[in-house]
Amino acid sequence: MSGTKQIFLTVNGETHEVSVPPRKLLVDVLRDDLHLTGTHTGCEHGVCGACTILVDGQPARACLSYAVQMEGHELRTIEAMAADGELKPLQRALHEEHGLQCGFCTAGIVMTFEAYLRDNPEPTEDEVRDVLSGNLCRCTGYQNIVSAVLKAASEMREEAQV
Amino acid sequence: MTDALEFSHIGKALPRREDFRFLTGQGRYLDDIKLPGALHVAFVRSPHAHARIKAIHAGEACALSGVVGVFTGRDLAQWTTPLRLAPPIEGLHPVEMTTLPVDKVRFHGDPVAVVVARDRYIAEDAAELVEVEWDALPCAIDAVDALAPDAPLVDETLPSNLVSHQSFSAGDVAGARSGAARVVESRFDLHRHTHVPMETRGCLADWDGGQSHLTMHIGTQVPHPMRGQLAARLGLSETQVTVISPDIGGGFGQKIALYREELTVAALARHLGRPVRWREDRMENLMAASHARETRCLTRAAVTADGRVLGLELELTEDFGAYCFYPANYMARVIAMILTGPYRISNYAFDVKVVLTNKCGNGPMRAPMAITSWVMEGTIDSIARELGLDPLEVRRVNAIRASDLPFTMPTGEILEDVTPLETLEAAAGAIDVPTFRTRQAEAKAEGRLLGLGLCTVVESTTYGSGFYKAAGIPGSGHEAAWVRIEPSGVVNASVGLMGSGQGYETPLAQAVAEGLGVSPDQVRVHMGNTDVAPYGMGSRGGRGATAGGGTLYLCAQKAQEKILTIAAHMLNLNDMQGLRLHEGEVERQLTGDWQSTGIGLADVARRAYLDPLSLPSGVKPGLDVSLTYDPPPMTYSNATHACEVEIDPETGMIRIQRYLVAEDCGTVLNPVVVRGQQQGAVAMGLSGALFEQVVYDENGQNQSATLADYMVATACELPNIEIIPMHTPNGRTPAGIKGMAEGGIMGAIGVIAGAVNDALAPLGISVEKMPLSPQSIRAHLRSAEKSGGPKF
Ligand code: FES
Ligand code: FES
Repeated sequence: MSGTKQIFLTVNGETHEVSVPPRKLLVDVLRDDLHLTGTHTGCEHGVCGACTILVDGQPARACLSYAVQMEGHELRTIEAMAADGELKPLQRALHEEHGLQCGFCTAGIVMTFEAYLRDNPEPTEDEVRDVLSGNLCRCTGYQNIVSAVLKAASEMREEAQV
Repeated sequence: MTDALEFSHIGKALPRREDFRFLTGQGRYLDDIKLPGALHVAFVRSPHAHARIKAIHAGEACALSGVVGVFTGRDLAQWTTPLRLAPPIEGLHPVEMTTLPVDKVRFHGDPVAVVVARDRYIAEDAAELVEVEWDALPCAIDAVDALAPDAPLVDETLPSNLVSHQSFSAGDVAGARSGAARVVESRFDLHRHTHVPMETRGCLADWDGGQSHLTMHIGTQVPHPMRGQLAARLGLSETQVTVISPDIGGGFGQKIALYREELTVAALARHLGRPVRWREDRMENLMAASHARETRCLTRAAVTADGRVLGLELELTEDFGAYCFYPANYMARVIAMILTGPYRISNYAFDVKVVLTNKCGNGPMRAPMAITSWVMEGTIDSIARELGLDPLEVRRVNAIRASDLPFTMPTGEILEDVTPLETLEAAAGAIDVPTFRTRQAEAKAEGRLLGLGLCTVVESTTYGSGFYKAAGIPGSGHEAAWVRIEPSGVVNASVGLMGSGQGYETPLAQAVAEGLGVSPDQVRVHMGNTDVAPYGMGSRGGRGATAGGGTLYLCAQKAQEKILTIAAHMLNLNDMQGLRLHEGEVERQLTGDWQSTGIGLADVARRAYLDPLSLPSGVKPGLDVSLTYDPPPMTYSNATHACEVEIDPETGMIRIQRYLVAEDCGTVLNPVVVRGQQQGAVAMGLSGALFEQVVYDENGQNQSATLADYMVATACELPNIEIIPMHTPNGRTPAGIKGMAEGGIMGAIGVIAGAVNDALAPLGISVEKMPLSPQSIRAHLRSAEKSGGPKF
């Protein structure tokens, strides 16, 4: 059980060599070994969505896979969003619309919609709610998150037109 | 209604300053704090609801590589003292609990041993290898059964499971009954909930042997009381313990008590001389952190033919679970105390029983008095229904009016500056009740079920010391703050609160900015570190704004006085008359206008710190001001919720068509944050009323220990919430602040029940039991069908 495996993980464009036990969850390796603590665990059983990251551009629960499965994949975490200090449209909209309170669920929501809005630039409120239903938030009641996503979508559409 | 007060910074819709770090993954929650060499613990928990511990075998676990040790209740008993709760309250039995159980466990999930290991994976492996020999005991699961004379005793030091029993009567309840046109009886059964902060519990204890000092990193709403508890239970002094609360991923009342697991971790860090940490998993959180709300009520209202309430009686039974981290009457007494809330009722009696059962112990969950408004408003709806009256009219007939204020409730509580009739009219007007009734009738003709609920809430928000004294609970309701203008003119401030995600940093900076006369950008408010913050009572209830904001505001005003005294001297004036600090500049009033004096806060600060010999006589160097403030015994906010639903008779699904709240919470520090609290509270109330439920089977096995079983509402189930804000200031608090944050839960539970019952009324159905799940609605519809109602 204590044997470790040497792997290469590509996260946010950087490749790291880590030595991890095969059963160590991806989320734990991101947080403990790579010190990327922006990804949170709220349930460790795949329901809450707090641990959502992007694997090859698609949202995935980092609590449901092992780090050793991730070799050869491109991972992106919240730390890659606004790495230059500038908030992205969705982050900005979440701030302006008060779409976060304790912030524990926020990274998972930002990552979920990073992928969704890329592929669906013009979502309806119902569609946003449907996608958001994979992320639990105990603080906000979701209303302001939904309006932030809609606002970000429209800003991104405008930006794309310029 | 009195008009809102005018301010420069209080009440401005500033966006929150904590957002940037949370949005970029730079928040620092407990698990983000790393200490080299920290050991991890995992708890061995009881598979039984009730059992004697015969023996614990840890040999195999200890042999696992990476395991440091396995410890039990006996070890902890040597290092810590038990928690004894024995406030002198009539009818409340004193209770005591050890840090970990020694002889027996009392619920499924009760911690019985702890494994310490190099990492969390190994600790969990080893926990599975610990073998406990059990002697299973019969258990008491339902509160009613637990009161039977032969019920198994949850706590064997008590004569029965009835841990607390109080009754009260004011006025002439019997007389009201005999003079009544009708006595209307109503029942309410609220199920067991749990808090579910998205961040579970956890802690990181760091013992410095050289200094004999414990630093406890723990997400806690109440840093100083937590420090006091830790010190007392570990036999340390308060100089030997520092509590540091990092960012908290939600608390909702679950992060107040010092839990047994946390005390265990602290004791282990000291025993082992190494940092020790614990991260609760979700299963533990759902099963064994704390539960809430399971309460049954019965009311009897003596009424006139036009629906006026002559007298009201309440019988309440709360299922408290197995352990008391709080005096057992703590939550239930508030329900009974404020039940009559928005109504002019003077003959009132209650009988309140709190019962121990073999379930996880209760704790206050956002709105510990959550059931109150459902019980009162449900009673009003029953009256309307039985007498064939319009529910809105029955509310109007009984409502407290402006001319009744200050109004003394039958329990002696004083309502002042509240506006329940005004919020009722605002909500009823906005929802347009007559038009709804027309739509409802049309829908009914098509076989569709529409319902409208109204729920007026009077929310107790800030509990002053007067309340605690009257309640016989040791403790205080005051709060403490300091405001320090640094030599460069920037402002540090601190208060004893600790937010758990509400977003205190911005509104509290606004309170300081207002009192001091600077821009909020100049102010940084420090919270959560007991070595930095003054001793305060922390965050609970709706006290943040009144107690925390109010204290900071008063403290900042006091600092402004000192600044102006120095400025007056610098300007060769006799005193500070006609001076003010505005946006960090000293201004002087000349012929009605405020004019710049050319002196800024930094100039005054420099003199205060670096040139103290130039200060006016009697003024001490520095600009460091502290202050404590004790709010009135109780402050109240009020609101009316209105909700339209449609029930699908085939599936039992409840769809919320419209939801609005007219809320009067006085002066608000920051409307953005307040609106967020209103939405969040309503959401939590609806989620609880419609979906969430802690389920135990008849053997006391917890059946809802994953988030797939304990269902929290998602974005698909919750409505948008319209808010009509009202701001009648409280005349007795600084800046007229009242506080809020829990009333939304009270209103949501009451209003959804009202709306569902309104929709089902034509079928003769009255739902008395939550949650209002599709299954339960279908069961009601089926039984209505059987007794000859329409078939769906
Ligand atoms: S922690 Fe991964 S879904 Fe909850
Ligand atoms: S902001 Fe707290 S869980 Fe979403």
